[in-house]
Amino acid sequence: MSTDHTELSARTFVDVHDIQEELDQVRWGLHADGEGSEAAQHAAAEARASVCNLIAVVSNEPELGEVMSVLDRLSVTNPSRTLILLAQHTREADKLEAEVSAQERTESGHRVSTERVILHAHGEPARHLASLATPLLIPDLPVILWWPGRPQFDNPLFDDLCELADRLVVDTDEGFDDSDLARLLEVARRNKAQASIGDLNWARLIAWRHVAAQFFDMPGMLARLAHIHGVSIFHGSDGQTAQARLLGGWIRSRMARVGIDVPLEFRPEDSLEHGVHRFLIYTGGDEGPARFSMSRLRGGRLSTQIRLGEQELAERTVRLESRATEELLGIELTLPGHDVLFEEALAAALR
Amino acid sequence: MAQAATPTITQNILRDGLILPRTPDPAAMVIFGASGDLTARKLMPALYNLALNRYLPSGFSVIGVADTALTEDEFRAHMEQAVQKFSRSQPVDRAVWQSLAEGISYVRMPFDDAAGYGRLAAELDRLDRERGTNGNRVFYLATAPQFFSVIIDRLGAAGIAKAGEGWKRVVIEKPFGNDLKSAQALNQAIHAVFAEPQIYRIDHYLGKETVQNVLVFRFANGIFEPIWNRRYVDHVQITVAEDIGIERRGKYYESSGALRDIFQNHLMQLLSIAAMEAPPNFDADSVRDEKVKVLKSIHPIDVANDVVRGQYGPGWVGGQQVPGYRQEVNVSPASTTETFVAVRLKIDNWRWADTPFYLRTGKRLPSRASEIAIQFKNPPHLPFAKTAVQELTPNVLVMRIQPHEGASLKIAAKIPGPVMRLRTVNMDFFYGSSFMVESPDAYERLVLDCMLGDATLFAREDEVERAWGLVDRIEAGWASQPPPAFPNYAAGTWGPPEVDALIERDGRRWRRP
Ligand SMILES: NC(=O)c1ccc[n+]([C@@H]2O[C@H](COP(=O)([O-])OP(=O)(O)OC[C@H]3O[C@@H](n4cnc5c(N)ncnc54)[C@H](OP(=O)(O)O)[C@@H]3O)[C@@H](O)[C@H]2O)c1
Repeated sequence: MSTDHTELSARTFVDVHDIQEELDQVRWGLHADGEGSEAAQHAAAEARASVCNLIAVVSNEPELGEVMSVLDRLSVTNPSRTLILLAQHTREADKLEAEVSAQERTESGHRVSTERVILHAHGEPARHLASLATPLLIPDLPVILWWPGRPQFDNPLFDDLCELADRLVVDTDEGFDDSDLARLLEVARRNKAQASIGDLNWARLIAWRHVAAQFFDMPGMLARLAHIHGVSIFHGSDGQTAQARLLGGWIRSRMARVGIDVPLEFRPEDSLEHGVHRFLIYTGGDEGPARFSMSRLRGGRLSTQIRLGEQELAERTVRLESRATEELLGIELTLPGHDVLFEEALAAALR
Repeated sequence: MAQAATPTITQNILRDGLILPRTPDPAAMVIFGASGDLTARKLMPALYNLALNRYLPSGFSVIGVADTALTEDEFRAHMEQAVQKFSRSQPVDRAVWQSLAEGISYVRMPFDDAAGYGRLAAELDRLDRERGTNGNRVFYLATAPQFFSVIIDRLGAAGIAKAGEGWKRVVIEKPFGNDLKSAQALNQAIHAVFAEPQIYRIDHYLGKETVQNVLVFRFANGIFEPIWNRRYVDHVQITVAEDIGIERRGKYYESSGALRDIFQNHLMQLLSIAAMEAPPNFDADSVRDEKVKVLKSIHPIDVANDVVRGQYGPGWVGGQQVPGYRQEVNVSPASTTETFVAVRLKIDNWRWADTPFYLRTGKRLPSRASEIAIQFKNPPHLPFAKTAVQELTPNVLVMRIQPHEGASLKIAAKIPGPVMRLRTVNMDFFYGSSFMVESPDAYERLVLDCMLGDATLFAREDEVERAWGLVDRIEAGWASQPPPAFPNYAAGTWGPPEVDALIERDGRRWRRP
């Protein structure tokens, strides 16, 4: 597949009306040509597909670079209006600057275009960037707030943007400790909160949840689930526990639905790298003891196994996708509304 | 505290929130024709990708059946090569392949050998015992059509298709018969062993994301349905155009032709989904009931006036000089096989009465395109001066199936400037699924649906027979005509000259897709 990537323009502005006008111009490709030109006439009747508004908040230049390249790759599957806020309220001397640009890609005959605004603010304006973001959004499309890194829960900008957004996307793998998880849950459950919460780390657990569920699709296995008496989660001992916590919280909250309390055992191990490595589900009851195990293997795989008493049943190896940030973000963009499952898992993880 | 009574669980609560509602039951898939081209190019790669993406249950097993002498290891190695060559996801993950391959075995036998079916039964029993397949079986007939009845008959006689617990399903490749009589005979032969809900007739067109998208486009958007009828639609053009010739399939094509190869299945499917009423829900019978109603409503075709056939002679396609059909390998130099058909149809129901549908398909046409084009009527009155609207053409909504999936709408717009001048512009959209995301192969979707017991995207008995009824009528009409003066169109043109007359006498023109 051939990809053709054009940066159409990039200019710097400060006034919100100038920014809006520039956005309209780059959106319709009216830029370089004078009025009445062939290109301008054509643009007047061209459809532009956009699926959302995306606001990303970063606090330093290196982060800005990373976020820009992630969003750039994301635009291939999710053409959108993108606002990147480089908010540095701790820097002296007020400053507010905007850079507007448009990208266009052609791939296999399709064209997608994305407009991007980078808002760079120091000092006081950095706390009020939401007021500048609002008029720049495309009407009627959902607003996704992506906060890479640990959000500044106490910064008023965080609250303002959450109020503006339909969905807040974070990555709890970015060093969230239990108190951060608790803050996140509190945001999700806030009374006026219209923003639902998405977590890239939760999306990474899809494969684990999927294979765990598949065990109990097998004939005769569902009855054993009612006799679950514990799970063990082995994970790396690098101090990052959010992923293991969420997985534990997930099975615990699911089983709580039918009135079963599942004891969780977390096993940090020095020999393991970052993240969850093994997930064991133990069941008992009349059917006899059984162990359902899932292990992460090198090279992005998950191997699953069932042991009934002493008998080992068929093993299976499937893919454990290691998804790039833009893919995980892309998954978050297609999910509608509040993810009740996630919120319940988060709550159960903290219990 | 005393332990509370254990609650019973009636459904798999761990599945909540996952996209796929369930995993298929552990099952054994018996592939007849396992050393063949289809198995290598489509089936095995589809199974591998399903396994990779966790769609297959553990214990899933495959038994390959064919007549070549192969050991189990040789067969597995052959399948691995096929996956390496044809899988859409690359590189092939060895561990995932190994885990799938452990469940692959091979039974060598001629399809008519009764004793062979005894060995097959024993192998299936072994899988039930060792891999927990529980009597669930898919019989996939990836063979030439002349073997369909034999295999089914032997499966029945050996008791394999009925015995014991678990479900049994059979997948039949195309072509399903070559006229109404043979299709009916085949249906009868299959029904002697399998009931209709167990039968999955493949038309891989239906497994394409793009075809499913037409249904979503029509029935998930409120704005199109109200104008999707004779009041607003002038006519409909459905095109399946191929720029390639018959490649090495001369032998097959000689006995088939465009009418059987494309018209009977793909064109009829596109017609049905373009013209059908909204089904009450998306289950197999509701959707297929509506599709069949369309086929039932087709007005008897007047072959002499409403059908044009053609065969390509030498010519130029895409800057390349290409031979004529009669010069292709394995084709008779005096062949009267058609490589092009165009048909003008009417549908006798309230929605479509007097709205013609023009269908065409052909090989060696100037470009490759499959599309459904809905041409709307002119506005009843134009308030603009005559000079302003010279260039105006009616609104057309096109749903493109391939190569570039999407939709486009032709609308009138004002040319910027101080005077009122209008012209037609094209608005192109593409659907959500084509935002450059890789789509699964049609076979992945279809194999999975079959294992889940969902026949929505497979052809039903009455659907197939109705379509063959139309083909028979056209064939009969042709038989009563003098032999055609083939070749009658040059490769690289849009068919014989008569095809223009077919539509122009109604005061309309073919689109250039
Ligand atoms: N190829 C495609 O891409 C494609 C696409 C759409 C539909 N189809 C349909 O799929 C079906 C299969 O096509 P194909 O291209 O795969 O055919 P193929 O390559 O000719 O394969 C035929 C298979 O049948 C086996 N076979 C033939 N006679 C046999 C006998 N008497 N006993 C036992 N095994 C026998 C062959 O095994 P041995 O050689 O080992 O005997 C081989 O495995 C056809 O109905 C075709 O229309 C194919």
